[in-house]
Amino acid sequence: MNSKLSKLMLLTSRINRQHLQLLVAILALVLMVLGIGAPSDGGGATRIRF
Amino acid sequence: MILLAALLLGLLAGWGLASWQRRAYRAPEFKSVWLVFAAFAPQVLVAYWPGAVEFVPPRMAAATLPVSLTIFLVFVWLNRRLPGMFVVLAGLVLNLAVITANGGWMPISPETASRLPGGSAPEAAAVGTRLGEKDVLLRPEDTRLEFLADRNLIPDLFGYRAAFSIGDVFVAAGAFWLLARPPVGVVTDRSGDAYN
Repeated sequence: MNSKLSKLMLLTSRINRQHLQLLVAILALVLMVLGIGAPSDGGGATRIRF
Repeated sequence: MILLAALLLGLLAGWGLASWQRRAYRAPEFKSVWLVFAAFAPQVLVAYWPGAVEFVPPRMAAATLPVSLTIFLVFVWLNRRLPGMFVVLAGLVLNLAVITANGGWMPISPETASRLPGGSAPEAAAVGTRLGEKDVLLRPEDTRLEFLADRNLIPDLFGYRAAFSIGDVFVAAGAFWLLARPPVGVVTDRSGDAYN
């Protein structure tokens, strides 16, 4: 019983770590490409005369 | 939108490849990931939040994008060993160069802008006006490094049209590669255990 419980906990912690790592990596990549890239579709409300 | 599409395609390709090779998919492991959030935060203020126009001085707003891209440059350099990161680095350098050379914004010509959704006739465009999140309307003859500006248009597919720079192409390709390819030297089995 203890063995099964520890295996389950190990599996859960592994899944959580992997999912969290994937989530952080994808979030970082989304912010990175949005931050570095500069395409324009004409959207956005910003129209300022300098 | 086009950059996010590249990410999504890369993720699907990476997952597909991992499934085909019967191994677990592993996302790239970044060093100093906090730099991404630190670099993006100033852009939220000047590029993605229209209300900021009222209280951020124009000079400070114009300096924000180059500063933000410089922080991104540090992050990309620290992670340059990841597959695809050198392609992202190339795109970043190209975009940083043209943005810095043109007063802190990505230049776009009135002609190109007029072909975007909601664009007005080129002769009606006010040169020097900001457009969208990061662009500024400039005549090609007044633009430095014009060949690196937002001068290319994607085909009008699915009712969506956007202008992009050469740097954006490199960023999209690098992002795709980052997610589609597993980290070099790391192979994993289905359980997620890595071995070299």
